[in-house]
Amino acid sequence: MSGKLLTYGLSRRRLLQGAAGAAAGLSTIGFPRAFAQEPEKPSELIVRAWGGSWVESLKAGVSDTFTAKTGIAVRHDLTEDNEIQPKIWAAVAQGRVPPIHINWDTTTNATKSALRGVTEDLSDLPNLKNTTELAKPVGLDGYPIVNTYGYVYVLAYRPEAFPDGPPTSWKVLLEPRFKGRIALYNDGIGFHFPAQVAGGGKLEDIPANMQPAWDFIAKVKEQQPLLGEDPDFTTWFQKGEIDVACTISTNAREAKKNGINIAWVVPEEGAKFDTDGLWIPKGLPENELYWAKEYINHALTPEAQQVWLDGLGLPGVVPGLKPPADLVDDPSYPTKEEDFAKLIRISSKIQVENESEWFAKFKAIMQG
Amino acid sequence: MRAAKTAYPLTWRIMDALEAFAAAIWPARFERAVPWLMLAPALLLVGLLVLGLIQIADTSLRTLDTSTFLMSEDYTLANYRRALTESLFATVATRSLLGSLIVTVVTLILAFPYAYVMVRTPSALLRKLLLIALFLPFFIGQVVRAYGWLIILGNQGMVNEALGLIGVEPLRLLYNYPAVLFGLVQYMLPFAVLMLAPALTAIPEELELAAGSLGAGWVRTFRHIVLPLARPGLIGAGIVVLTLSLTDFAMPAILGGGSQDFIANAIYDQFFRTSDQGLGSTLALLLVAVGSLLVGLVFTLFGAGTLAMGRARR
Repeated sequence: MSGKLLTYGLSRRRLLQGAAGAAAGLSTIGFPRAFAQEPEKPSELIVRAWGGSWVESLKAGVSDTFTAKTGIAVRHDLTEDNEIQPKIWAAVAQGRVPPIHINWDTTTNATKSALRGVTEDLSDLPNLKNTTELAKPVGLDGYPIVNTYGYVYVLAYRPEAFPDGPPTSWKVLLEPRFKGRIALYNDGIGFHFPAQVAGGGKLEDIPANMQPAWDFIAKVKEQQPLLGEDPDFTTWFQKGEIDVACTISTNAREAKKNGINIAWVVPEEGAKFDTDGLWIPKGLPENELYWAKEYINHALTPEAQQVWLDGLGLPGVVPGLKPPADLVDDPSYPTKEEDFAKLIRISSKIQVENESEWFAKFKAIMQG
Repeated sequence: MRAAKTAYPLTWRIMDALEAFAAAIWPARFERAVPWLMLAPALLLVGLLVLGLIQIADTSLRTLDTSTFLMSEDYTLANYRRALTESLFATVATRSLLGSLIVTVVTLILAFPYAYVMVRTPSALLRKLLLIALFLPFFIGQVVRAYGWLIILGNQGMVNEALGLIGVEPLRLLYNYPAVLFGLVQYMLPFAVLMLAPALTAIPEELELAAGSLGAGWVRTFRHIVLPLARPGLIGAGIVVLTLSLTDFAMPAILGGGSQDFIANAIYDQFFRTSDQGLGSTLALLLVAVGSLLVGLVFTLFGAGTLAMGRARR
């Protein structure tokens, strides 16, 4: 056997010398050290999002800029938040990798997952120190979820139906001329608390005595309201099916962007204010967990928040954000202390413990 | 040299090879087990469903702890108590049962003449047209059809536009009980016609001709000849439509406007809105039980109809 290993006549000794030289060269330019700092990048990160303008805004503000910065593609899973919840819970319970990397969820739903112990702790995110108090979930240890913005369940209406000026009270839902032309979320979310006040009760009595809320909702039932989800409100306004609704301002703003004349107010009884956030389910491989955390960290930068929330028209958790031109001094975009005066905020703990009962009670009234 | 006409055909050679292969795989002494072999896929499928039902039954006996959102370790009948006593579930159950009965009756009334004409018409063109019209809806799913009704019956839809031409204000045609029943009837019609057509084909046309020649008009012929002989088809079609409409999800959800929930919608709410898998499983089991009881009752009173495949006759 000759010393030749390859057709180019390279001897074994020469090959080994060359390899040693290459390794020394690579280590001098720090290549192995760079590998040790950042874990391997996954080919994509999957982020659950609500569809329509919600996912478009996230894409523009957070996902596309994250991909530009890291080279990791972001895929948006549009499964509804309440439908992905049992899938994640089952995956964690069975020791499988969850179907998504990051869940964009309501704080209440996320709190349920946190209580169940299926969320990763996010306390070590560097950008948390630049966020407002709104980012921290109330009643939970550390940061199993990071709140990313707030929103208001406003009274949205078609101005043509109100020639004498905008409505001032939730009681407008009971006017006979709006029978069959009002809309609520199909579980009553966002409406239980203002209904308590409109029904003559007090917020302090939540959850101990909510009979005033149920009495008011029973009266609303006589008006044959339409019950649906986010996209339904936009469709119903656009198709002229409704004149008034209790919905998140983003959905009304979406119909407005599509050319329908819609406005909204925070009535005298108040309106519910709540937050949404991002969280990571347990069970991801180490490197994917690292990059999922990087995604959330990126979502907390002022640049990402500004573009993302301009699309939604909602106030963020980073100081110094500018409201969109059409929402300056708008009641659905609270920024100062006095803006929050008429907004109703009930702790996540009370909501999580009682929401199932409230949904069931609302459904029982509406289905009956 | 050309092969003789008595040479062994190629197809026979292929069949011989296949039979030898089958005999090698499944020797002749296992001949009696062949029916079980044929049943094996069905048994496997049903077995998986039964395993799933056992899992659901286990979950139905556990309640949700809202401080940890985990199911309870101990078994309890609390979910069943809730399902049978809370007014919401009574309302939804009554609405679903009544709705499925109404849909079944209306669908059978509308499907019968369609199936009769399709089977009896001497015109091949008409028969083909009726068949195509019957099968086209199957290519469009239930959800797409429901959305189609939203467009046609909506406030700015075709019907209200037509009414507007004669000066009628837009009517609320959607998001109520009649709209859900209407959507269900339209969805179930092809199923009913498909189940009725074979039963009507089996009625010899000569019997109707004989009745006519003996002086019976078409009403009496229909009442005394066609309808009784069509009974197996009506039973088969009725059971299929009854069970499909009782368990329907899409029509009540899309055409009901959120206020016309059927049982499937209530089950969905428990699993996905309140995260209470225990109560959801309870409702699912009760639905299976009620559906099975209804079908059992119909079989006992009227026989299995076309589903008996010609064996049981009453």
